[in-house]
Parts: sequence; C-alpha cells; structure tokens
Amino acid sequence: MVQAMLDRELKKGSAELLILSLVEHEPRHGYELSKLIDSRSNGAIRFHVASLYPLLYRLEKRGWIEGRWVEKAGQRRRRYYRLTAEGRRVLAAQRRNWRQFVEAIARITGVQHA
Amino acid sequence: MRDATSDSDPRNSNQHDWRTEIAERLASLRLAPEQEADLADELAQHLEDRFRELRIRGESEGDARRVVLEELDGEGSLASRLRDVVRRGGSTATLGTPARGSLAAQLRQDISYAVRTMRRTPGFTAVVVLTLALGIGAATTIFSVVNGVLLRPLPYRDPQQLVVFFGTSPEKQLAEVSFPSGLFVAIRDKSRAFTNMAAFESFGFTITGTGDPVRIDAATVSLDFFRVFGTQPLLGRTFVAGEDTPDDNRVSMISYGLWQRMFGGDSSVVGRVIRLNGNPSTVVGVMPPEFAMPDHAEIWVPLRLDPTRFNCWCLDMVGRMKPGVTEEGARRDLIATVDAFALSRRDVFPDKKPDDHAKIILMPLVQRIAGDTRTPLLVLISAVGVLLLIACANIANLLLSRAAVRNREMAVRCCLGASPRRIATQLLTESALLAGAGAALGLLFAVAALKLIRRLPEGQIPRMDQVRLDPIVLLFAVGVTAVCALLFGLAPALRAARVDLQTNLKDGSRGSASGGARRLSNVFVVVQFALSLVLLAGSGLLLKSFKRLLSVNPGFRAENVLVARLQAPYPRYGDAKMVRSFYDRVLERVATIPGVRAVGLTPRAPLTRGNPQNNVVAEGKEPKPGEPVVVSNVRNITPGYFDAMGTPILKGRGFRASDGPDAPRVAVVDETFARHYWPNEEALGKRLTDQGDTSANHWWTVVGVVPNMRHASLGESPSLQVYRPYAQQTSWTMYLMVRSAREPRSLISAIRGHVAAVDPEIPLYEVRTMEEAVSSSLLTRRLTNGLLTAFATAAFVLAAIGIYGVISIGVAGRTREFGVRIALGARSANVLHLVLQQGVWLAGAGIVIGLLGATWVVRFLRSLLFGVSAFDVPTFVVATAVLVLVAVVACLIPARRATRVAPAVVLRE
Repeated sequence: MVQAMLDRELKKGSAELLILSLVEHEPRHGYELSKLIDSRSNGAIRFHVASLYPLLYRLEKRGWIEGRWVEKAGQRRRRYYRLTAEGRRVLAAQRRNWRQFVEAIARITGVQHA
Repeated sequence: MRDATSDSDPRNSNQHDWRTEIAERLASLRLAPEQEADLADELAQHLEDRFRELRIRGESEGDARRVVLEELDGEGSLASRLRDVVRRGGSTATLGTPARGSLAAQLRQDISYAVRTMRRTPGFTAVVVLTLALGIGAATTIFSVVNGVLLRPLPYRDPQQLVVFFGTSPEKQLAEVSFPSGLFVAIRDKSRAFTNMAAFESFGFTITGTGDPVRIDAATVSLDFFRVFGTQPLLGRTFVAGEDTPDDNRVSMISYGLWQRMFGGDSSVVGRVIRLNGNPSTVVGVMPPEFAMPDHAEIWVPLRLDPTRFNCWCLDMVGRMKPGVTEEGARRDLIATVDAFALSRRDVFPDKKPDDHAKIILMPLVQRIAGDTRTPLLVLISAVGVLLLIACANIANLLLSRAAVRNREMAVRCCLGASPRRIATQLLTESALLAGAGAALGLLFAVAALKLIRRLPEGQIPRMDQVRLDPIVLLFAVGVTAVCALLFGLAPALRAARVDLQTNLKDGSRGSASGGARRLSNVFVVVQFALSLVLLAGSGLLLKSFKRLLSVNPGFRAENVLVARLQAPYPRYGDAKMVRSFYDRVLERVATIPGVRAVGLTPRAPLTRGNPQNNVVAEGKEPKPGEPVVVSNVRNITPGYFDAMGTPILKGRGFRASDGPDAPRVAVVDETFARHYWPNEEALGKRLTDQGDTSANHWWTVVGVVPNMRHASLGESPSLQVYRPYAQQTSWTMYLMVRSAREPRSLISAIRGHVAAVDPEIPLYEVRTMEEAVSSSLLTRRLTNGLLTAFATAAFVLAAIGIYGVISIGVAGRTREFGVRIALGARSANVLHLVLQQGVWLAGAGIVIGLLGATWVVRFLRSLLFGVSAFDVPTFVVATAVLVLVAVVACLIPARRATRVAPAVVLRE
C-alpha cells in the first residue's frame, strides 16, 4: 500500500526526468526503457504499457523526444526515442530543479543523499 | 535481450494476439487506420517482449499471458490514458485529414457530418428540402403520366411495329379521311411494307335477353384484326375465314370486362348465343383484359370487306410493319400503292393525276391512342423541368451564400490538411443528402397527386390505368434527384475547393461572398428570371387562350339541357318509316314530362365524337373540274332541335312538322355556309345538292339560317353546316336533346320510363347534361392551365426569393461602403437607387434573355393556343411587368435596409 503510494507520487513528479535521462545518450525503445527503470530502481519504480506510452507520446508531442521506426534484419520494427535539442534543455533544467528539491527535502528531514 | 525477441525463438508467442488485444482497447479512440496500426505495432511489441521475458524466467504460457494482461489493464483504461495524447495532436483523423480510410468510412463520415450540419440549420434545410420535394414531386407525377400514356409499350407483341394510317385532305378541310373497303383491300394485297393489316369500324350494339337492354361499344373488324396485334384469345378462338358473311354478326367475340360483368366469368360462355340488336350471335371467344382496341370496344364482329365498294369512306386501319421497315418507309409504300391503284381505277378516281400523290398520315399506334393529351403532357413535363432548373438555381444560390458564411470552416479544414477534393466531396455529400430528403418527400407528394389524378372522370386521359409509380418512374425520380444534386451542389463545391485560406482566416472576415461566388450568384439570378419569364409567358398565353375559349359563343345554350342516346335496332326496325314512328312516339311522350320546354333529335350532339359530313354543293357554285369541294357537316334533325339547343333562327324559319317525307326538300344552313357560298347574296331560297346525287328530287331549298354551332370542340374553327329535316332523311341512332325548366338530371328516370313504354328493349345511354359535356371537353385544358399556372407562380416566387437573397447579401457585404457614403452626405434616395440598380440590372438581363428564349419556346405551344398569337405582345408585356415588379419589390427590402445604415456604428467597427 505504502509502496504503491510512493510509487505513484514519485512517478508523477519524476517520470519525465527519468525518461529524458535514459534517452540522453542513446535512443531506446519503450520496452528497454521500462526494463531499465525497473532494474536500475531495483524494482521500486515500474512502468507498464498503459503508463509508459502515453508519457512517451506526451513528451514527443512537446517536442522533447523524437520517436523513429527502426527496422533491423530479422526483427520486427521498433520505435526508438531520442532526446531532441529542446529536450536536452528541459532535461538540464529539470535535473537542476530536482537536485534543489532533493537537497531541500534532505535539509529538512535529515535524510542524506545516497 | 534483443536476441530473445527474434522471430525464430520457439517461445515466440503469436504477435497477432497482442495486436488484437491492443486494437480492441484502442477501438473507442476511432483513430485513423494508419495511426492505429503504428500504435498497435509499438505496444504489441512491448507486450510481446514482456511475455517472452516472463517465459524465459520460467512462467507457464498461461501465467505469462495473464501477467502481461494484468499489467496492461492494471493502471486503468489504455484508451482513456491515450485519448488526450493522440487526439489533441491534430494528427488523428478529423475531417481535415486527407482521405486515408476506405471510401466507405469516408462516406460514413461525410454523411454524419452532413446530417449534423443540416440539423444545425433546420430552417435552411426545411426550405431546401421542401422546394425540392415540390419540384421533384411534380416532375415525378407528370412523368408517371407521360410514362403511362406515351412511353409504356402497348400490351401487344412488338408494339413498336404497330401503326395506324389514314388519308388527309387539307384542301377540303379534312384532317383525317378513312378509307373505303375497296381501297383497303387493294392496299392490303399490294403493299409490301406490312406483315399484316386490318380494317375496323367502331359502333355500338344493344344487347338484349340478359336483363335490361344495354348499349355496348363494339367494333366490326376484318378477319386479320387480332392477328395484327398478335394477341391470343383468353377463351375460344378468333374469327376464321368464311365468317365474314353478308348476314353479319352471326359470330362475335367479347372483352374480358364484358365477360366478367355480364356472364360472371363463366367459361361456358363460348358457344353461347347472345342477342345483338335483336339478332342472334354466337360468342366464339373472349379476349384477355389488356386487349383494348379500338377504344372501349367490348364486342367484336367480323367485317365483310367488299373489294368493289367505294361509297363509304368509313374504315379505320391498323397495320404491323415488317421488321426493319421505318414509319417513313411504310408511309411511302402506302402512298405508292394508293397512287398505283387510283391510276388503274379511273372509274373510281376520275380526277387522279399521275403527279398528284396520295396524302397519307401514318403514326405509331401508341401516339394515336395518346391523342390530344400528347402535346399538353409534353408541355407540362418541359415546364416542370424548367421549374426544377429554377429551383436548383435557387438552392445553389442559398448554398453559395451559406458557403460564404462557412468560408472559415472550410479554411480551417484546409489548414488541418483536408484536400480541396475532400472538401468538395463533403459539400456534394451534403447536397446529395438534401436532394435525397427532397426526393423522399417528393415521392410522397407524387403518390398523393396520382391519387387525385385517378379521380379524374374516365376517358379524359387515355391509358390512365397504366399510370402508376413503377420502377421506370422511380428510376426517373432517382435520376432527376441526382441531376438536381449535381446542379445545385456543384457550384458551391467547386467554389469551396478553391477556398482562399489567408483572407478567410483573417479576423474580421465577415462571411461575405467572394467576388467569384457573387458573380456566380448573379448568373443564377439571371437564369432564374430568364426561365421564369418563359414559364410566365407560356402560361399567360394558355390562360388567355382559355379565356377566349370560354367566351366563345358555341351557338347553343348549354344550361338545362339533357343529352341521351337512343338506337332503333336494325333489322327489327327494318325501314325508315318504322324508325320515324318509334322516335315520333318517344318525342311525343317526353314532351309531356312536366318541366320539359323543348325536345329534339340529332344524329350527333355537339361535343361528342364523330361528325357526319358530305360534299354539299350550292346551285351555280359547283366546283370546276379538279377543284376540291368544301365538305359540310350534315345533321338531320327534328323540328324541336334548335329550340332544345337554344339556337336562335337568324333568318327564315326552322323545320316544321309539315316538312315531312313527301314535302318539298328543305334545308337550314349556318351563317358560315351562307357566307361561304353567297357572301353578298340572300341565302334563303337558294338550292343545294349532294355531289353526285342525280336522283329526281336532289335539290334542297334553303329556308333558314342559324348561327354556327361548335360541334367537335369549342376551339374548332367554324365549319360549314347544313341541317335537313329528319323526316326527309332518317338515321337509326339519335341523340335526344331535352331542354327543361329545372335541373335536367331530374328528368332522366321519367325519360327512361317513356322510352321503355314505347319499346322496352331499347336502352337510353350516354346520358349527361350539355353543361357536363362542355366542361368535360375543357377538362384537359383546365388541367394543363392549372398546372402550368401553378408552375409559373412557383417559378416567380422562387425568382423573387433568389434575387432577394442575392441583393440582401450584397447589401450586407457593402454595409461599410454605405456607411461611408451616408457619412459623406449621400441621401437615402441615392443609396436606394444604388441597390435597386443592381437588382434591376440582374432582373433585366434575365428578362431579356427570357424574352428571346420565350419567342423560341412558344412555337411548341401553338397547337394549344386559341384566338391568341404565339407572339401575343400584351401577354409578353404583362409577363415582363410582373417580373420587373417582383424584382423591384424583392430588392426594396434590402435596399431600405441599406439606407438605414448608421454611419457612426459602421465606421467604428
């Protein structure tokens, strides 16, 4: 229950930041993104189809990321998302805000940055 | 990980399953197919990857599937989460997108959009649909009559091969001349253009011995008659060789109707003996119900063709042309045959010259049956076509002006990616839907109108039983609807397809029509006025003709006169003396009925079919050899006839009882006859004779002059008329004319009683009042006029609405200009003048074109006109004046609006 609540709240505030960060250095497809979030958060944060793709499309619509169909021999086509120039600026700003937010919380609660 | 997704992996699940799962969940979004496919591909791939991962981890296939689906639906509906993202992006299918889906989907979309548009503007929709419904309804009704009367094939084998033919003699003022049996036999045997031909003559029989005596229409027909039509009898047989014996009527055939009515459909009727005019006749066959030749004949008896007889020019002819023979070819063949025969028989045709060809008219049987209704029907169907054109022009204008209002809508849709073609299609769909609704309602109108038409008195429109809404009529209605939709939908659709984005999207664009649309609207108004003028002028001419016709002095007074027909059957009444004695007793008795003022007999009552004629020559005025004799109508009447008809004696006297069989022969002529032969002399006392009559007392002395009487129709041109005393020349079949002091129909039973008292086997038939005869002779005209006037009225109302609309929109678009003008000191009169000028220009252009058109069109009306020239100037002036007035009134309303523009308000905007 608590886990679920945390999950939801964190996702709400941080989901955009997570996605943008993960496509910062290389284009990734949706499933890869969900796997990476799952594994890097040790299962604390999970994105399934119904939450991940609406988010991807929203980011794409805002022009922060850009999806492209890629076909490789012997595979089905997949859509890879990469960061756009605009997305790069947004990512930088969000990282700054997030850091300030976490530091502020830490100062108040005494929880140390990991 | 990627390797695990390879298609060759044995644990690969069927990707279509996942696509289906996704597609089901996306269905409610109604995405464009292409977009939906992309989404499904991407999401299905995700589920597929997840499924495979779970399987690799060791989950069973069922569990893995369950987990994947739980994850898919665990966070709420996929569609609702996607809705905002994929819909608002503008990349989904709104009306703006270029056509991507199937044609059917696009059509569905267009229709639902059109329905919404129509619902948003109920007033506009109602006006358009109602206008169309009336137009299409009228067109369908009239077409169903045209179809039934003129177009539907006759119910005989290869009906297009059936023709009738007769001679014509314009120099003798005879439009139609029947043939004698000698000539017919010659034609039948020599002509090469026909498979077979037959002669017939219509008359009537009194049937007795089966209840009350009844009079039945009959025809005597040559043996080949039924073979010409290719119709087999329903029961029994047709006539065979040898049955055309001189002692006629030994055998007979009866119609289906008579068989049902008189014999209750009893099949043992074949072989039964009936009494025709008192003589026994064996029924040999019953014809099928569709056989209706000639006219209303219900009994047929064999006609004896005597090749040596040339004295009675009384046979009608019908023939079946050989396959491949044209009407003109058949006519030429007939002329050559008659010419050759006439030259070989100098004894019969002494005046025949080699270069003087026979004059023969040949026409399709179907046209002959349609008769006088043909021209009015063609006029009406043309008029309704013109009315529909006007209505279409009007609707096109309405749509154009609405398109102006909708310019921004179109522009927005263009911006969203709609191709001009797509927008045009959408607008055409709207037009088609409007037309369809109009047609549906119009068909209901047509059904109601046809019910009314069926109530017309029988015999007014031939083949009325064939008039109905059949597949051909429905096809016509569909065709007309499609043409209408194209006519009024094309212009706005094409205009919209060329929509100018920039101007239309700019703020402050007022929804006024662009220059091009305005020009188009103007053209439509001009067209409307032109067509309206044609209709107005045409209906004006017909109305004026009708008025002239009503004011014609028919030579008799129709009120309070009863007409009934009687026949003294031959051979029971074997000689003239017996016949006269019968009729004298009838006259005596009828005269005693209270209320009877006068009673007389005539072989032909006015306004009935048939017209006995003779070559009558006046003494000293005999035609020179080769000169035609002018034919006269001859009537043998009783002394009471002129009184019964209310015909005054202009000079001399009428007939008296003393003008008996043995008294000196006397005649009364009409003023036309008197003027023709003795323009500057006294007609009384002059002597007449029948051409070729060499008997001892062949001279008839003129004792009186009466006014000309209209016999065939009120509109006929006056013919020469000669009356002779019935006592000096007797016929067997007569019309009884009774003038009464009270309602004439109240006398019928009394008259029947008196006739029966004289001879119970003689029926009274064709009973009607003279007023009914007059009014029924005018009914077709009345109908044509009524309909044409209605069409013309509708036309100019539509034209008025049209010009009003165009000027109104013009004024709305120029509000600012008028404001400036008024601010600069223009007076109301100036502004009024400015607006009216535009309207008068449009109407004027239309009227001028219409006048030119009308002068060309009215020539087709000529045969319907009476006493009015096709180029009757007053009619054209009135039609023009009406339209100018309509235009001015229609423009005055928007013009006054223009004068009330408040400059301050307009300039501030």
